Amino acid sequence: MNLLLNFFMKFFVPSANAAEHVGFFEAIKPPIDISTNGHLIDSLFQLTTNLILFFFFFVCLGIFGFSYLYSKKRHPKPLYNHGTSRKQLALVAGIGALVFIMVDMQITTISNHDFINHFLNYPKEENEKVLRVEVLAQQWAWNFRYPGKDGIFNTEDDVVTLNDLRVPVNTKVIFQVSSKDVIHALYFPNARIKVDAMPGRISRLWYELTKTGLYDIACAEMCGTFHYRMQAKLTVYPQDEFETWQKEMQERATHVTEQDKPDLFWGWQWESTSTLSKN
Amino acid sequence: MAFFEQDIHDAPSTFLSKYVFSFDHKVIAKQFLWYGIAFLGIGGMMALMIRWTLAFPGEPFPIIGDILFPNSGGIVPPDTYAMLFTLHGTIMIFFAITPILIGAFGNFCIPLMIGARDMVFPTLNMLSFWLAVLSAVLLLASLFTPLGGAAGGWTSYPTLSTLIGSAGVGQTLWCLSLFVLGVSSTMGAVNYIATIITLRAPGMGYFDMPLTVWGLWLTAVLNAIFLPVLGAGLLLLTFDRVFGTTFFLAGAAATSGSGDPVLFQHVFWIFGHPEVYILILPAWGIVSDLLSFFSRKPAFGAKATALAMTSITILSTVVYGHHMYSTQMSPLLTQSFMMLTMVISIPSAVFFANWLGTLWKGSIRFQTPMLFSLGVVFVFGLGGLTGLYLATVSTDLYLHDTYFVVGHFHYTMAASVLLGGFAGTYFWFPKMYGRMMNERLGKIHFWISMVGLNGIFMGMMIIGHAGMHRRIYNPFVYEFLQNLIPLNRFITYSALVMGAGQLFFVWNFIYSMYKGPIATQNPWEVGTLDWTIPSPAPHYNFKEIPVVRCGPHELGNPNLVGKDFQYQTEELVKA
Repeated sequence: MNLLLNFFMKFFVPSANAAEHVGFFEAIKPPIDISTNGHLIDSLFQLTTNLILFFFFFVCLGIFGFSYLYSKKRHPKPLYNHGTSRKQLALVAGIGALVFIMVDMQITTISNHDFINHFLNYPKEENEKVLRVEVLAQQWAWNFRYPGKDGIFNTEDDVVTLNDLRVPVNTKVIFQVSSKDVIHALYFPNARIKVDAMPGRISRLWYELTKTGLYDIACAEMCGTFHYRMQAKLTVYPQDEFETWQKEMQERATHVTEQDKPDLFWGWQWESTSTLSKN
Repeated sequence: MAFFEQDIHDAPSTFLSKYVFSFDHKVIAKQFLWYGIAFLGIGGMMALMIRWTLAFPGEPFPIIGDILFPNSGGIVPPDTYAMLFTLHGTIMIFFAITPILIGAFGNFCIPLMIGARDMVFPTLNMLSFWLAVLSAVLLLASLFTPLGGAAGGWTSYPTLSTLIGSAGVGQTLWCLSLFVLGVSSTMGAVNYIATIITLRAPGMGYFDMPLTVWGLWLTAVLNAIFLPVLGAGLLLLTFDRVFGTTFFLAGAAATSGSGDPVLFQHVFWIFGHPEVYILILPAWGIVSDLLSFFSRKPAFGAKATALAMTSITILSTVVYGHHMYSTQMSPLLTQSFMMLTMVISIPSAVFFANWLGTLWKGSIRFQTPMLFSLGVVFVFGLGGLTGLYLATVSTDLYLHDTYFVVGHFHYTMAASVLLGGFAGTYFWFPKMYGRMMNERLGKIHFWISMVGLNGIFMGMMIIGHAGMHRRIYNPFVYEFLQNLIPLNRFITYSALVMGAGQLFFVWNFIYSMYKGPIATQNPWEVGTLDWTIPSPAPHYNFKEIPVVRCGPHELGNPNLVGKDFQYQTEELVKA
């Protein structure tokens, strides 16, 4: 009886911790976009939605309209027609072609353009000021590695953090991502992007963030029991604050951090993106 | 056209040979139906536990929670949660939908609709069912191993599914179970293909077959080609787990040599993408037929529908890479898979147009099977169109592995297939059991299911677009998901409503089996061969092998006298 009571309490008593002041349409918005490329995804999503609604409107019109007009009561004599006349075939083929041209060609072209010119267009490390970060995923945490003062990865002065990624605003950041054990996925909801972290492989990702603040990083690929706890924090600093933080961390890396802590020795040599973009 | 004589043997007399180890396709079909419905119940319960956890994290599952999870006071623990969604996916795909749509309707409809006395290989047919039972035993046994059942997701990506991520023997049993099931389904598929090719009634060309048979046939072809691929992948995975090979191990995990975890994803999705069409094609076929039967007019462009389904079958084999955009394949591959995936929308648009064309100027009877068929058109419209977001690579970068994907594939694979399956069950129930199902209960069942599943899956797509990723035990540890608590609860309520609605079906099914009104030979007044024989279908179906003289959708011909449809055995009346 007690159990039954609990069950009904769930249904009818609103919970106090639910964010009640947030309206429905506010709540279902994707997380705030903080990257330079996120709007490409949002606008393509919107365009696809509009096109889908356009075609789904006609599907619904067919289902509900025909159901209304041609019910047995209203339309007792069906039309004996096999839909094989040349006109009808042309109409059906035309609908197929219309969907292909109006929807597929359009969104494929846009998506392809965005993919090649933005998401795959890695910044040139030689020419531009970029921040490079190595990411090692493990069950169930994110390790981040910044090069030390020497600018070379996998040396003793590297800055290594756990579940704590800090990047400067308005600076291009390139990640090289790998995994220690199982497949994970580095997911930045606020930058609308994710990439798999796979053992034995290095995958890449870049973005440029435009808003300072504290954001969530999640693991998007099922990676075991505590997959849901594989959370890291992304701090976006203004340029100067990032430099202060970086300097401090580099100091600590050379002086404070224990040299024989095995957790810190996981880096790899940075693979230059200029050689990568060729293949 | 039959290639050989179909002998009539004596009817089996013992209980074992009649109901258990039966060679009769109709009995095997019913066995598969019961098997599927039982697992549908188990998988559905698992779905409710998953939904409960997402809506009320940390609160005990009502009523049966204390019995199932005594150690945590009725709360679903995180490791059990992983097991639940893994087995929910596995059970629903391989142990519920496959047996119902392919096992039950494939076995029941193919011989009856093409005018054959049985399948071409009855023994293989029986083995196919009993191997499926063995596979279910293996899967259920895995739950009672020390570390519990498989918990790596139904996709079971290595290295999570190797010893690195899942140490227990449960995952090995899961692999073996699916391997055995693959063998079972391949046996069935070979049988269906051979039966349709060799045992069509004299006079029945391929385009004289009902579209249901077309759908089942194409499914069987895909099954026969691609289940062995899954079997190969699972066998290699089993080797990795049991014999210490390193096909799918890489990085620090591979102590010797090195394989590639992504290789498994390729193997899996080469099978996995056709699999979604394996599940949906029979439903498409059933819906295409039923729309015509209940609109009382010929199927609009039936040949075009059959050819569109065929081209989708072919296309489905070359688009699998869209499941793997986030693994960073070569951009060239990504672009190719994106384009090929998009091409599928052309044949899809063609049969959607044909479905609506069938309704156009019909005289529609809204009986339960028709309601479910119209439901399929609606939900598959949504499910198919939302695939576009996931086919374009840039939006997929955001939506991959979120609940948007979950909502999308549930619309196509769960909602459409389930509604199609229900349509078929209500439609062929008289031929199976000789009694009618209750219309009123059927309609209640339809409307509750329709409201429930749209609430669930539309809700899932919305929370997915809002960023909530998949397979997480407690979404609300993330700040950016805090606002989604009310919507998650709404989805859970919808799921509970839908679950409760299925009780109407179960009651209707069991009650009608014994107490339903006796069905006439042809209660729906349609002309395919299955309705030319008494209900329930007699031993060896056809006393005389019928001769086919016209197509399966000859309804509404104004020159017919006394009835508005023609049996396929009758000479076509000129309009």
